Amino acid sequence: MALIHLTVVTPEGKFYEDDAQRIVVRTTGGDVAILPHHIDYAAALSTGEARVTSPDGTVRRAQVSGGLLHVASDDVQVITHSFAWKEE
Amino acid sequence: MAGASMKDIKLRIRSVESTMQITKAMQLVASSKLRGARARMEASRPYMKVARRAVWDIALHNTGAESQYVIPREVKHRCYIVLAGDRGLAGSYNANMFKRIEWDSRDANCCVIPIGRKAREYYNRKGVKIITEVDKVEGLTLEACAEIAQRVLDSYDAGEYDEVVLAYTSFVSVLTQKTKLKPLLPLDTHDAPERTSRQMLCEPDADTLLKGFLPQYLAGLIYAAACDSFASEQAARRVAMDSATKNASEMIEDLSLRYNRARQSSITQELTEIVAGAEH
Repeated sequence: MALIHLTVVTPEGKFYEDDAQRIVVRTTGGDVAILPHHIDYAAALSTGEARVTSPDGTVRRAQVSGGLLHVASDDVQVITHSFAWKEE
Repeated sequence: MAGASMKDIKLRIRSVESTMQITKAMQLVASSKLRGARARMEASRPYMKVARRAVWDIALHNTGAESQYVIPREVKHRCYIVLAGDRGLAGSYNANMFKRIEWDSRDANCCVIPIGRKAREYYNRKGVKIITEVDKVEGLTLEACAEIAQRVLDSYDAGEYDEVVLAYTSFVSVLTQKTKLKPLLPLDTHDAPERTSRQMLCEPDADTLLKGFLPQYLAGLIYAAACDSFASEQAARRVAMDSATKNASEMIEDLSLRYNRARQSSITQELTEIVAGAEH
């Protein structure tokens, strides 16, 4: 199964780095889902929820406020100043 | 008289000893701060790397109409964001930075944004135009960096200056730190890899995207540079205080030797006097 490689960085440190099936983020144009084999892509993030589907199918939610989404050949990078998991 | 000089030497030993206590304490403080500062510096590096690549990708994406932030302007006014120390007694850490900028800034009008007390004091004294200032490098927050970044971008858009340079000290090792001048605006794309022919999709479009992200990006860069500089400052202070402590202990050794000699010679003299008195 193809996976994307997700990296979340903030100036205070690399927040998260792992493979994932899918990530959904809120961009300025609306929610966008990134799946494997996505075209190289960049979008501005707005404040909202991000949903990361890990390889085993579990979904984690996180609060992101602003930043940039950058996709380059299955390397998905969320570059933001604030990223926090919402743990149930 | 031997007695008076013995007293003098004793006083000097005591004063050097108290100086040594201070330098030793400062060295310990610097080492413990260095540990934290290095961790923060290491943590800020991935952001730099990832964000820089993303910005390059976007900036170079539309080669037809290059972004206004990539095209260099003729430099008449330059703005330096200067990261120096909060305190002195760090060897040549602060002086190196000011010298480097003075040398670099001779070809254009310049203004500065000093960060750190020493930088602020220096440019106040020199009478260089100060845009805004921050008093402390230690614990500089992302919010403060964002404020500076926004300010710089607004002025750059308004054409108040043609180039923005970030001056900081890069931590190489505990023994070596290097002053660095990093051009922030226009965006430095010299090291950027050649853009492949792969298509890239930008939403809404490359220019808007870049404009929206730049304040955050610059804030991140300033933050990372501040972490780097602070680690360098602590390392420089540690080394300077280490050698000061060594010098002090050498001095004490030397003075003790002189003190003992003086004591010995005064005893000898007393003995000779007593013996001479007894023979009469």
